[in-house]
Amino acid sequence: MSARAGTWRAPGRVAGLALAVLIAGAVSMSVGASGLGPADLWRTLTGDADASTHTILLRLRLPRAVLAALVGGALGLCGCTFQALLRNPLAEPYVLGVSGGAAVGAVVVFVTGVAATLPWTLPLGAFLGAVGAMTLVLEIARRASPGGMDTRVLILSGVIAGAFFNAIILLLLSLADLQSFRSAIFWMMGNLSAADWGSAALLAVFLVPASAALLSLARAFNVLSRGEEVAYYLGASVQRVKLTAYLAASLLVAASVAAVGVIGFVGLIVPHAVRLAWGNDHRMLLPASFLAGSAFLLLADTAARVVVAPAELPTGVVTAVAGVPVFVVLLMRGGRR
Amino acid sequence: MRGREARGEWRPVLRGHDLVFAHPRAEEAAVRGVSAEVMPGSLLAVAGPNGAGKTTLLRLLSGALAPREGEVRLDDRLLGDLGDRERARAVAVVPQSESSPFPVTVREMVGMGRYAHLGPWEGVGGRDRAVVDEALERCAVADLAGRRLDELSGGERQRARIARALAQEAPVLLLDEPTAGLDLRYRMELFHLLRELRADGLALLVVTHELNLAARFADRLLLLDRGRERAGGAPREVLRRETLEEMYEWPLRLVPHPGPGADAGAPQTVPLRRGDE
Repeated sequence: MSARAGTWRAPGRVAGLALAVLIAGAVSMSVGASGLGPADLWRTLTGDADASTHTILLRLRLPRAVLAALVGGALGLCGCTFQALLRNPLAEPYVLGVSGGAAVGAVVVFVTGVAATLPWTLPLGAFLGAVGAMTLVLEIARRASPGGMDTRVLILSGVIAGAFFNAIILLLLSLADLQSFRSAIFWMMGNLSAADWGSAALLAVFLVPASAALLSLARAFNVLSRGEEVAYYLGASVQRVKLTAYLAASLLVAASVAAVGVIGFVGLIVPHAVRLAWGNDHRMLLPASFLAGSAFLLLADTAARVVVAPAELPTGVVTAVAGVPVFVVLLMRGGRR
Repeated sequence: MRGREARGEWRPVLRGHDLVFAHPRAEEAAVRGVSAEVMPGSLLAVAGPNGAGKTTLLRLLSGALAPREGEVRLDDRLLGDLGDRERARAVAVVPQSESSPFPVTVREMVGMGRYAHLGPWEGVGGRDRAVVDEALERCAVADLAGRRLDELSGGERQRARIARALAQEAPVLLLDEPTAGLDLRYRMELFHLLRELRADGLALLVVTHELNLAARFADRLLLLDRGRERAGGAPREVLRRETLEEMYEWPLRLVPHPGPGADAGAPQTVPLRRGDE
């Protein structure tokens, strides 16, 4: 294998995944409760579709597909980032308590009954809870490690904060009436049924700068994976890299949880699967995790809409049920290599 | 300055002056008033008992630790005034050990040495590839370039780590116990490599427990004992039986290297059995 052949391998893989996202998007757009299929998608694209087909595909299915792609991408990217930041292959986007904080915010909105009258307060509450959790965990980690942000302390404070938020959630739920209890549980499982252009656009506002910041750190993540001392000797500004990665990834997770609730496993399984298959160069890994996350969540959300049609499953349940066996197969194949 | 660096003409001296450092919460300072000069075209060996402050001295000289007293200068500039990337283009370090949960190939590992030469959005260029190839060749790991680091032997892995430091193209290279755990051939090859790099004009510091190799390969030897300089200078002058016996608290004899070759007569340390002196 020559060095030059290796130069084009990573871009080729990323391009292949981009194609997979488009295919997954087309599948997602071609399936649904209204019975419209691939032929209708084609007619809509060529401008031959009738008005109701046009509306269903472009006003209902398209924003949902776009939101699924954005959320899946964000979770894949953030999972990969937290694994690099914490030097832990088991890290995932929610490991530092951001989802717990978001859930506290959301449950407060449900339990107080505000969600029923003012639906827009739900993402707001979730987002504020997530940002609050992020700030709290960072502050604990900083005060407990005076020499700079120690990632072991960061994990510990994240896990502790997460446990605390869980207790608060259970406390609030035990006081809730049955209706808000159901809504809160359903929200916590994560679902994309409320997707519209507004929620997709709002997420994109966070996604674009956060992704740019994280992708710019790809090389820094490579050297950081060899340990902080080595990264320093190689020229990385370790503290600045860690803080940037933490803030960008946490804000992006906060925005995605605010949009669709807590969708698990994507951020753990997707980057890990890419690592097993293609190695640990973050210049390939970060974009590949984003795209693989997009494709995975598009397909999982399609399944969520189809399996018990005309009813819907929470997307987060599908990602877990489908993702874990896929991951186990990958893990065993990786182990045999 | 980038131009001079790239042409390999910049040959700075790295100087630590009267360095004092205490670890947080430690009762005694780990390094108490040590000075060291790492000069171009010269190999400085630092030896001494475990806990003498050798690694701490290396970390001070690399900028990873800030001295409580004293200063570290690269030519006339304070090392701490250099940016992280600028410093890494001047001083490369091979630390004692490292591990990662994420395996990489040898080529990826050595490519990391280019970090300080590349902007965040900058692609790897022809020159970067050439430098990496040369470092792989130099350390005899070119054939292993596509192999995963965790599949290599200890000696091969160590050579890949040194290749990564060479890919930094820094005029100063600091190594912390690079021969630890290596067999006889790898140890000799490593010191031969250091001699070659010295001939290229690199300024080299190696922390080592190999007194016998230091006696043969180093231009100067600094003996540290409990955070202080015990002796410093040409190895043949520094290596004295009384000094070493006191430092290591162990009976020993010095015998001249039997030759043949340039090392004939270099003092070789032979520890005795306790009670045999």
